This record gives sequence, C-alpha cells and structure tokens, in this order.
Amino acid sequence: MTVVGKNIPHESAATHVAGRSTFIDDVPPRSDEVFLEIFGSPVAHGRLKSLDLDAARAVKGAVGIFTAKDVPGHNHFGPIIQDEHLLAAEETTFVGDPLVLIAAATREAAVRARLLVRAEMEPLPAIFSVDQAIAAGSFIGPERVIETGNVKAALAAAEHTLTGTLDINGQEHFYLESQAAIAYPGEGGEMLVLSSTQHPTEVQSIVAEVLGVPFNHVTVQCRRMGGGFGGKETQAAGPAAMAALVAAKLKRPARIVLDRDTDMALTGKRHPFTAFYTVGFSSTGRISALQLDLFSNGGCTADLSPSVLERAMLHSDNAYFLPNARITGRVCKTNLPSNTAFRGFGGPQGVAAKENILEEIAIFLKRDALDIRLANLYGIGERDITPYGQKVENNVLPQLISDLRDSAAYDRRRSEINAFNAQSTSHLRGLALTPVKFGISFTKKTLNQANALVNVYTDGSALVTTGATEMGQGVYTRIRQLVADDLGIPYERVRIGPTATDKNCNTSPTAASSGTDLNGAAALDATGRIKSRLAAFAAPLLNASAENLRFADDFVFDPAALDKRIAFLDLVCRAYLERIDLGERGFYITPGVDFDRDTGKGTPFLYYTNGAAVAEVLIDRFTGELAVPRVDLLMDAGIPLNPGIDRGQIIGGFIQGMGWVTTEEVVFDAKGVLLSHSPTTYKIPNISDVPEIFNVRFFNNPDSAKSLKRSKALGEPPLLLSIAVWAAVKNALAYAAAGAIPPLSLPATGEQILMRLSHLRQTAARRAIPESAPAR
Amino acid sequence: MRDHLVLYINGKVHEVRGGDVFVPLTTYLRERLGLVGTKIVCSEGDCGSCTVLIGRVRPGGGGGGGGEAGGIDYRPVCGCIQLMGQLDAVHVVTVEGLSDEGELNPVQREMVRCQGTQCGFCTPGFVVAMCGHLEEERRPTKQTWTRALTGNLCRCTGYASILEAGMAVDAGPGKWRRVGERYADAAIAQRLAAWERDAVEVCDGLARFAKPVDVRAAAAFRAAHPDCTVVSGGTDIGVQVNKRMRAITTLLSTAGLRDLEEVRVEAGAGSISTLIAGARASLTEVERAAAKALPEFARMLENFGSPLIRNAGTIGGNLANGSPIGDTMPAMFVLETEVELTGTNGSRRVNMNDFYTGYRQTVMQPGELVTAVRMRLPAAGELFQVYKISRRKDLDISSFTAAIWGRVSGGRIETMRIAYGGVGPVILRLRKTEAALTGAEFSEATFAAAGAVARSEIAPISDVRGAAAYRLQLAHNILGKFYAQTAALQRTGGRAATNGQGEHA
Repeated sequence: MTVVGKNIPHESAATHVAGRSTFIDDVPPRSDEVFLEIFGSPVAHGRLKSLDLDAARAVKGAVGIFTAKDVPGHNHFGPIIQDEHLLAAEETTFVGDPLVLIAAATREAAVRARLLVRAEMEPLPAIFSVDQAIAAGSFIGPERVIETGNVKAALAAAEHTLTGTLDINGQEHFYLESQAAIAYPGEGGEMLVLSSTQHPTEVQSIVAEVLGVPFNHVTVQCRRMGGGFGGKETQAAGPAAMAALVAAKLKRPARIVLDRDTDMALTGKRHPFTAFYTVGFSSTGRISALQLDLFSNGGCTADLSPSVLERAMLHSDNAYFLPNARITGRVCKTNLPSNTAFRGFGGPQGVAAKENILEEIAIFLKRDALDIRLANLYGIGERDITPYGQKVENNVLPQLISDLRDSAAYDRRRSEINAFNAQSTSHLRGLALTPVKFGISFTKKTLNQANALVNVYTDGSALVTTGATEMGQGVYTRIRQLVADDLGIPYERVRIGPTATDKNCNTSPTAASSGTDLNGAAALDATGRIKSRLAAFAAPLLNASAENLRFADDFVFDPAALDKRIAFLDLVCRAYLERIDLGERGFYITPGVDFDRDTGKGTPFLYYTNGAAVAEVLIDRFTGELAVPRVDLLMDAGIPLNPGIDRGQIIGGFIQGMGWVTTEEVVFDAKGVLLSHSPTTYKIPNISDVPEIFNVRFFNNPDSAKSLKRSKALGEPPLLLSIAVWAAVKNALAYAAAGAIPPLSLPATGEQILMRLSHLRQTAARRAIPESAPAR
Repeated sequence: MRDHLVLYINGKVHEVRGGDVFVPLTTYLRERLGLVGTKIVCSEGDCGSCTVLIGRVRPGGGGGGGGEAGGIDYRPVCGCIQLMGQLDAVHVVTVEGLSDEGELNPVQREMVRCQGTQCGFCTPGFVVAMCGHLEEERRPTKQTWTRALTGNLCRCTGYASILEAGMAVDAGPGKWRRVGERYADAAIAQRLAAWERDAVEVCDGLARFAKPVDVRAAAAFRAAHPDCTVVSGGTDIGVQVNKRMRAITTLLSTAGLRDLEEVRVEAGAGSISTLIAGARASLTEVERAAAKALPEFARMLENFGSPLIRNAGTIGGNLANGSPIGDTMPAMFVLETEVELTGTNGSRRVNMNDFYTGYRQTVMQPGELVTAVRMRLPAAGELFQVYKISRRKDLDISSFTAAIWGRVSGGRIETMRIAYGGVGPVILRLRKTEAALTGAEFSEATFAAAGAVARSEIAPISDVRGAAAYRLQLAHNILGKFYAQTAALQRTGGRAATNGQGEHA
C-alpha cells in the first residue's frame, strides 16, 4: 500500500477538528510566566523626547518594563539589510514602532500598564505613498533592471502604443493565529523559544544576537502555525526576540500573543505597487516592446522588499513572450510598517501589471482579450526565451488554455455576455481568462538547500524532522507520505516531529512554494542512505544482491524472488543488534538554478507551475456591488503528491487572491494610522463569496521530470489565478466605456467600481454628440 | 436573590463569582478552565473562531428550534463577546463537548475526510457552528450551510472543502446525535428553568452586576444606577469591553426578561397588520417571523452580521444602541414603527422617527428600557424595499443603508418615505426628497431627479467604509434602483419574486 498520490487527510486534521491541536497560546502557562504588551510610537516618524513609565510601573501585577537600552546584544537586524530595530531607541519610523515592552503577571495587568505609558515625541516629516517617495527620492537599495532587445527602437517602430499606470494596493495576511511566542530561559544562558514562525533558523539567529549569546544557546521550535502566508517568514522574529529578551532579563518564561488589532497595525503586508508602462503592439495584438517601471512600497525598512521586487520583475512577462523589454524596479521607503513576504512574493503584482496591459490592448483593438493573450503566449520551440534569459520548457499553457476554454464554454458565454450587456440597464457582466506561469525556486540561490533527519527505531517506526514548517499547507503530511513509501512502511508508522533548530540547522524559510520540494527531497536523501545500509545487511540474509532489494508493504525483498522476504521490523531489529546505524541526515540542493541580479540574467527557476482561470463577474450598475457567479480553474500540478491537499492549496490560494483583487483594502489615514485594523474594517472573503459555480481540475501533465516525484509546487501559483476576477471586472467596465479604456486600480472594490461607472456614465454623456472613436 | 451565576459547561455545573462575572466567556473557558479548543482571534464577533453553543430553555410553546416545549435550544454564538454575566442559567457547549465519547462526531469526521481543515485555527469554530446548524436543520443544503457559516472566517481552505464536508454529513435520525442527545438534557433543562427564575446580583469591589427577572425591577435598577451599562445580546457591548472603549462598573443584564422574547403578527383594522417584537427577540427570531410577514426586511436581515451575531443580538439592543449604521433602523423609520419604552411608572410608545436625538442619543429617560417594537406592515400594493450596501456582502458593517416605502396610484406617486443610514450621525429621513417625489409621475426620470435632491440634503463623511462621494453616489443611485425594482414588480403585478436578479428581465 503506497500513499504518495493518494488523498490522505492532513496529518493534524483529527486533532484540529476536536480542538485538541496545540497552538502557542494553548500551551498551559507556567506559574511564574509573564505576559508581554508592546507600547509603540504614536507618530509615523518621530524622535523620542521623553518616556513616562512611572504610572505603568505602579500597576499591580506589572513585573518589568524594558526599552532599547535593556537590549544586551544587537538591537539591529534584518534579512537583507540590517536596518530594523527590536525597540526604537530614539527615532521611530512608523505608527506602532515598538518603544517599550511591558511584562506583567497577567494579561489584564499588562494591558492596563501599557495604557498608562506616555511618550513625548517630536514629529518628523513622514511619507506614506509611492508617489510621495518617488518625489522625495526615498528608496531602499538600487534600481534593478531586466532588459532584452531594444525597447526604444521597437516602441518607435510599433504600429500602436499605449501608455498607462496601474495602482495595486497591499493585502493583510490575516493568518488566524496572530504572531505569538513563548520563551523559556534555561541554564547557562540557554533559551528555548516556541514560536509561530515559518523560519525557525532566522528566529534563532535574531534571538541569539539580541541576547548576545552564541546561536547554539538558542533553540527555536515550531510545531505548527495557525496560518502564515509569508507573514511569519521574517516578522515572527520580532515578537519572539521580545519574549526572549524579557525571559532573559527576568529569568522567567515570557509569553507574547499580539491581539488582532496590534498584529495588523504592527506587521507588514503584501507590497503595494505602482506600475508605469508603455507597450508597443501590432494590429493583431502581438506585443513588440514593453517598457515597465515597477515601484513597490517597502515601508520603513528593507525586510524582504528587494527580493519581492525581483520576483515581481521576473513575473511581469507572466506567460507571454516579449521580444523587446525593459523592466525596471525600485523599492520605495515610507513610514509604514515594513511590507514583507506574502504568498506569491511580488509575482502577483508583476502578473497583474501584465494582464492589465493585455486587457487594455484588447479594448483598444476592439478584440476579445483571449485572442490577444493567445497571440502573445510563449511558443513551443520558438519565442520561448524570457527577458531574463531562461528558456521556457515543458510549456503546457497553449494546450491547457485550449482545454479550459472548452470546458468553461468561454466562447458561448462571451456571446451571452455581449447580448446581456447590450440590453441590461441594471447589471453588467464581464469575463476573462488569465494564465499563470509561476517560477519555482528561491531567486536567492543560497536558500535552495534543505536538510532532514530521519530516525528509524527498533519497533519499526520512523521519525522525520526537516526545516519545513507546517502552516496548514500540508507539508508535514506530504513528507510523511514520501518517507513512508520510500521506507515501504505504513503511513501511520511515520511521524514528523516539531520543526526545531537543534535537530535541523541553518534551514531556509518555508516559503517560495518550495517546502515539500526541498525538504521532501532532503528526507528522501536520508531514507535512501538508511535503505542502502539495510539493503547491504539484508542481501546475504535473502541471498540477493543489495541493489535488487525493494522496500514495500512493510517488507524487504527481491521482486524476482518474492518467496524470500524479510519484514521491515525484523530487519531493523537485526540490523540494530549488528550495530548498523538506523538514523541519517539528508541534504538537498536544487540543481542548476542561478540568477545574477546585477545583470538581470540567469536561470532562477527549476521549473514553472502553470495554470489558468476563467472568471465571470456580475456588477450592479446602481450600487457597484460585485458578485463572482462562476469560476473555472485548471492547474498543472504535475502528478499530485496528495490530490486532496493540492486541491485545498488551489482553492484556498485562489479565494485568498480573490480577496486581494476585490474586497480587501488596506487603508491608512493621512497620519499613517492603519484604519483597516481588524476584520470589522478589513474584509477577507466569506463563505458566501465562493463562486456559485466553481469548477477546479488538475491538468494532466506527467512530463514534469525535473520536480520531486514529478509533482509541482502549488503553494503560491493558484493565488495568481485570481487576477482573472479583476480582469473580468475591467472587461465588464469596458462594456460601459463606449470604446474607451476604463481605468481600474486593484482591488476592484464595490466603491471603486461604482465611482468608475459613474465617471464613465458622465463621460459617455458628454461624448454622446458627436460620436467619436477614441483617438490615441 | 442569588449572589453568583450558575450555568452548565459541557454538562457540568459551574458557579461563577466576583470579577469573573464581567469577563468574556472565552477568557473564562481558556484561562480559568483550560478549555483552549475555543480560539480567540478578533475579540469582536467578526471571525467566529470562538464559536460556542449556548443552550437556553425553550420558552413555553413558542420559539424556534423545532423541539418539544421545555427542552433546550442550542444556538451558535461568538463566545468572545458574551460576558459571563449574560450566561446565567444556560448550558454552554464547546468543541470539547461535541465529540461522541471521545470519538470524532460525523461533522468532525467529514471535515477530516474532505480536507476541510488546513492550519486548524478556525476549525473548532467551524465544527461548533456546523453542529449548531444541525440543531435546527435536519436536511441541510449547500445554501443552508452557506447561510449558516457566514460568521466563520477561514483564510486557508477557500471554504469549498468545508461546504463539501457539510454536504457529506448524514444528519438523518439515528445518524446524528443532537446536543440534547449527548447530555442528560431533560434534567439539565429542569435545573436551568429553575435557575432562570432567580434574580442575581453580584458585587466585586466597586463593580456591580444585576440580572433581574421582571421588567419593573430592571427599570428600577436602571433608575437607581443611571450610568449602568445595559447588556442585551452583547454583540456591541462585548466589543467595546474587549477593545477597551468601555470600562464597566455597573452591568445590567436583560437576559432574565424572557417574556420580552416573543415575536408575533397582529392583524389590525383593514388590511393593516403589525409585527410586534419583544425587545429581547433575537434578530434570528425577527428574521424568521419577517420571512413571511415582511420578506424584504427578512432578506436584509439575512446579511445582517452573521447567524452567530443574529443568534445573540436583539432587536431592542440594536435599536437602543443607536448606531447610525444599525441595519434594522431605516426600515423601522419608513414603516413609522413605534418603540415601546417601559420605566418604573409604566410604558409609553415613541415613533421611531422621534427616537434619536443625536449620535447614539435617544429620548429614553434614565429609568427606561426598550421593551418592544411595533412595525406596521406594508399593505398590499404598497411599495417597500430595504438596502444594505457593504464592502463584503455578509458579516460586514454597512457603508450605506436605505429603506423606501411608498404608494403609487394612477402612475403618480401618492406618498413616499425614505430613510438612509451611514450618511450622517443618525439615521436620516429625507424629507426634501420625499416632498419632491410626492405627486410626481412614477418614472425613471422622476427618481433620477430625486437622486440629485437626495444628494443635496445629506452630508456624509469619508471613513474606512467609504468616501463621502461614494455614499452620495449611492444615495443618488438607490432611488433609481428602487424605481427599477418596483416598476418591474408592478409590471409582474405583485411582491412575488425579487431575488435581486429579478430585474434582469
């Protein structure tokens, strides 16, 4: 009985549904534990004049109050540039920037003390938007360029050109479990930290640096997260380090669990982007040249912004060949919380910028946007080199799109929508098909490594640990499946332990959709070597040669001599008695990937995950209200490792993306205070937003030979399919725009739709006499 | 008079004393009892991670639920915004109390099998809400599951697998054990019924809590403590407490006033009927009663908060709370609803249009409580529509609300009443627009022109739920939408099918 390729329930499902899975704040408190609250800067950019902590100190139950001067080691860190502080010493750079940590014996006392802290700040000039940053020349890092061909010449020679701007807003992760950690001080400067983190190794190094102790004194463990989505890749480290700091100072366990409003106000989000573009194309809609300048809003520090920008640039071709392109990118520095990784990591913004251009070309040429998309798709054996020089191989998109076009009845529905929009005065419908080609691998080469520890015990059970963290995506389940099949033992006999830095060192974050690809391969490296030793030991017992032995169905045997076989349990017991090592550490590096960000050239990706979506939208012309009555998704998952979990990634990613492009709007006021700071004011998709008709299929692609067991990474790519919903809104508005290109930023909220419609109506009324074609 | 609360939690009796009376249920469950299956995410009723079932003795004969009189109705609510004081004489059932002798129940099993859980943080809330749905619905459909789960947010699954799990549960007799079948329900019901009749007062230092069991005692307590916080469903008070917008020293719970829960329709003279709802009628019960009597109102209520909110929130609480974006109010304004106020000296009735005097200010006297609302129902041929516009369709506070009622005869508008919410500090009647419409031709042009008048008599603000310009545009357009809908209805001759799509034709 093998389990790879089967729909095995999530390994924690049974305890999840019973309420028996333990998250950080479910760990019973120790009697001497303290609870932390953060007092943050009341202004977006300011200089600390004075702090009044007396009233807070006097609160009954308050145990300790800490500021930057209490940090024994470094107060500065950051994954790319060391420009972040744990606690602001003098200058604060966003509203909520932590200034003071309050530790108290109870949550209530900690909150009461926090409310009594007073800070006197001298406000400094602050900027918040991409436009303001460009005007002020406020950037993080250098401009990046990816270039191919000669854009200037090609634009000059183009039959048509279009120029425009697209504003893309951010997105709050809204993981259900907020940032949380508990730190337990040990003897001799040791520190054990339970953290809800996608990157235990980074938490370990930051905790060690803040405390001024060697890395080997700090153990960081994560059993699971209540959601991550990129928000706990770098930004789990701050709270964890705060807990560790207080635990070290007080020599008592310290717990920090951000309340929802604080979490949303303090942590970074998906980067807002502004895209400026000029595109040249022929009357058939084929693009000859693209000049695209991307500006991301990085917030107050670098965090991962340069890498996010890079992935946005690497995805702004999406699935389309660009013979001439110049793609530039800059990270803007503003006084907002530092924006960070979020599922897709810049890819969605790059793809949205490109799909917007295709919609606009279609409107301009009065053609169906699908025709324009097909005319520009990467070819097979020709027109297949990306602007950064990687060849697009195993390109299934032409076939995949054709399959989806049929199954979603795209053409029939297009005619229906044409007829509907011509006669309805109350509603508008729109339709779009958008593809995705998402590059798999970290674009930072170093991170494409993983290690795993596999222990086989003498009762025939196995324990695996890797650097992969479980945030709901099912990486633990998949790795258990892989190890069980490779050792040929039942799935139930394999356990996967909490991810911890004392078992797996120097690990990469669980990110870039790579969790299973990297860590699963490392685990198989370990099991492979255990099997080699066991096979060598078993060969004489079975009178077979070691290389012919198979591990399956809980036995070891030579398929050519099935009458002689040895039970796995029997074999490991005998091997142990003969002093054969049953544990192994495995290691894996992704072969062949490399990218030079200075030249903008290379082969950053091992392979691409492809898919496409058809989305239909319905808009109420009176109110702007948007509904998504039907969506069809077709996803190339290679050969799925676990179709149930893979399907969950596709649907979950799509709906999360649908929130980004429709109802989720991050709103700051003019002073940089987050107004959308809780689910009352920030609206992620609800169960009633799931499309009434929602068809989700896997595309049959057994040829993805480069990937693990010919499966494909699915963590992020499906999110980008949601851009079809946004494109369908743009398409719907085009019907009301009398031939003009309707502007639309992202997200397409009901408010924006109504205001755009009202404006189009007024413009149309003005244009009514004389009727004139758009002169561009 | 008892000096403590007494309630069941997962079949066991708990006495709650002192300061614990003022804490949210989730704090009590997690920190005092170690029942950590119930999660806290937003502390404001907007995510459902804290969903628990609250069982109350069914009022004699009436009420929903469908069980025998005297049994217990279990309804899912958000535990984070239920203060313990509201929970005297109830049976709280948490996720830990829903397994079958330690085995997973059928809902849990299907959630596992259908991959209805990923990270698991929202999952206990979903499981409880799903079990709660099966308390009321024996033949659930995709639509009923969707309606039942709008109060529970999930960020991982995209919900499809959760709906599949719901559809896969065999809820037939003998297959699904209702909560009452898991516990010694008859015995519990008997004790709850006895406890319910006890008045409760608890003092903790300066803090004071009261649960009177008759209206006069409640009014007297309010008169004696003019600054007391009156909690009915708690769906807003609980948020204010959690978010530190309100510190409670004196808390008056109306939970003991069970005779204020009834909803009925009273036939009056001519074809005029009145929907009379006790102030403590939950929005769920009002929605149920309105489904037949006032379907346009019921349809709006379907998108009011979520089932978790509507099971706890009351019509009287919504009204007395006085939010300018309270969803029930515009309809009550245009239907000239009467609010019944009861004080120590008896009752009086106030027209809804005269009830509010300013932002969250009302004509209520210190010793008065809202005890009932009386909505005059539209007669046959009268036009009536209710609108709730929000960023997200379900579980969202409105950006704009509206209700319009009127009569048309011979192609002319005889009379028209318009009330908007979300465009000022209080719900507004648009008197100038009403005047402009009165006597005018019932036509698209009339309503388009009226839209411009509507714009001129409101001055909305810009906030996180929308810019002023957006609200002005909605204020304008909603009149056009009203015309389009009601003209179509008039053509089809009745109040029959308005499912929001009816206007396509």
